[in-house]
Amino acid sequence: MSGAKIIVIDDENIVGKMIKATFEKEGYHVETFLSAAPALARLKEETFDVIITDLKMKGIDGMEVLRIVKKEAPGTKVIMITAFASMDSAIEAVRGKVDDFFPKPFKIKDLKACVERLLCQ
Amino acid sequence: MKIVHKIILANTFNILLIALTGFFAYQNLNLLLTKLRYVEIADDMNASFLEMRLSEKNYFLYKDTSALKTIQNKLNESKEAMESGRADIIKAIGARSYQQLESSTHAYLQIISSADVKAPASEELQSRIREAGQRLREFSDHITKMERSNVNRLIADSRTGLFTSLVLILFSALGFSQLISRRILKSLTEIENVAHAISEGTFTKVETVQTVDQDAVMKFLSRVKCFSFFLPNPSDELGSVMKAINSMSEELKKHEELIIQSKKLASIGILTAGVAHELGNPLNNISMMAQAYAELYEDLSREDRLDYMTKIEEETERIRDIVKNLLDFSKPKKPNRSEAHINDVVQKSLKLVQNMISISNIEISVRLADGLPRVSIDINQIQEVLINLITNAIQAATAGDELHISTRLNVDDNHVEIEVQDTGKGIPPEFLPHVFDPFFTTKEASGTGLGLFVSYGIIQNHQGSIRVQSEVGVGTCFTIELPAYDTKEINNEWS
Repeated sequence: MSGAKIIVIDDENIVGKMIKATFEKEGYHVETFLSAAPALARLKEETFDVIITDLKMKGIDGMEVLRIVKKEAPGTKVIMITAFASMDSAIEAVRGKVDDFFPKPFKIKDLKACVERLLCQ
Repeated sequence: MKIVHKIILANTFNILLIALTGFFAYQNLNLLLTKLRYVEIADDMNASFLEMRLSEKNYFLYKDTSALKTIQNKLNESKEAMESGRADIIKAIGARSYQQLESSTHAYLQIISSADVKAPASEELQSRIREAGQRLREFSDHITKMERSNVNRLIADSRTGLFTSLVLILFSALGFSQLISRRILKSLTEIENVAHAISEGTFTKVETVQTVDQDAVMKFLSRVKCFSFFLPNPSDELGSVMKAINSMSEELKKHEELIIQSKKLASIGILTAGVAHELGNPLNNISMMAQAYAELYEDLSREDRLDYMTKIEEETERIRDIVKNLLDFSKPKKPNRSEAHINDVVQKSLKLVQNMISISNIEISVRLADGLPRVSIDINQIQEVLINLITNAIQAATAGDELHISTRLNVDDNHVEIEVQDTGKGIPPEFLPHVFDPFFTTKEASGTGLGLFVSYGIIQNHQGSIRVQSEVGVGTCFTIELPAYDTKEINNEWS
């Protein structure tokens, strides 16, 4: 699915950097942000296909991002990533609302497969 | 024996004492009455005897034989009076005196009866009559006098008797109530002490068995066996109350232990969740970089590859720091104490954060009290706490906010207080109970959630306390209390 546009939001800059490096090799267009506010602003300017966001962030958190995106751009898919160990509560929080969920650490190729699957839907 | 029984027993004893006194007083009055009755009879008889003596004279001097008849009549009258008052007289003067009196009267009557009414009295008869009459009169006089003095003595005796028993009753009543109330008060004081201790969180036990007392009276009582009645008794009401308090205290202790245990478990839960999250990020970074490194190997320049490896190394260092910090809490360092002035420590800490304060553009005011007692502290640890609190305040503040730092003496409990107060955004009430929990942070990614947890441990190790008050939009105030060192030393020297 080359050409698809993806936004990555994570306050750990390595996450964005690595996703950008590996996904752009496949032809994706990836923009990375360290916090949600500028990402949401960018989303207003342009339509993106997938948003990969961290759950726990300073300021606007992943849940808020999910809520805003699903309201403003219902066609955009949201993938949540988090380092929360007690995933039960985290999964519970996003179940049925988010398009997919990845606990850290995760395999980049799994994430890629997930993005491809979501774009095919 | 139960206290209520003791009180009943003491009251019964006192009532018995009163009844006994009353009984004796009644008996005395009765005796007095009979004596007085006798004295009345005796007075009458004495008057008759006097008249008889006069008649005797008439008979001897004027040969008036009718006088003999008068004497006889008087004698018979006296005899009759004696007969009728016999019981009272015997009661008053005793059977012997009564018989003596009776026989004297009888003897006199016989002599008078034997005298010839027609002939004048012979010398011999005269002297016999005179003698018998005199003896009778003297005897009666003597007994009357004796009885009068007896009556006086009886009155005096019963007066002292009544007074003595009154004093005795008074002492016994006062003594009993004093001893019993002392016993009750002693137990109440013990209960009060224990209740106080419990309210302060120390679950001590009351001694329900008799202990060697500091109280002189109790000491004396415990030595004399028959007074053991007044000593604390584990089977009386207060003993039961103490037993109840003891079991309550034990229950509370168990409950507190349970609460502490569950708090510990909760803390461990927060801790492990926090640890996992803290470690999750660097682990993910390493994993992603390793995956990307392998995937992009051909496309990466030499510098890129080295950069990847350096970053991986940095992330492992991040993990190592987290683990090291964790080990620090699990084994809190023992404070390396030295005597210090808290104001010096505050000023040193402020110097260390001076740079941060000037960058943050907030107003700082420092108010340090004069003449504070010294404290025995690990200066580095307390400095760490203060820097931690000041840093938190600065991070919660926006330009133009104020930071107040003050020290003062809490005279009541001999503590030195340090207050770090900001006018920042404040902590929401639902977060307030958790600020000292490990890995609890409101600073999201920038905070480890360990600063206040560590600070709390340090202050606890100094036998001090740290508390927080906060209102959203108004600010937060942390207060540290440290025990004053000087006064404690002086107290030790005195005790």
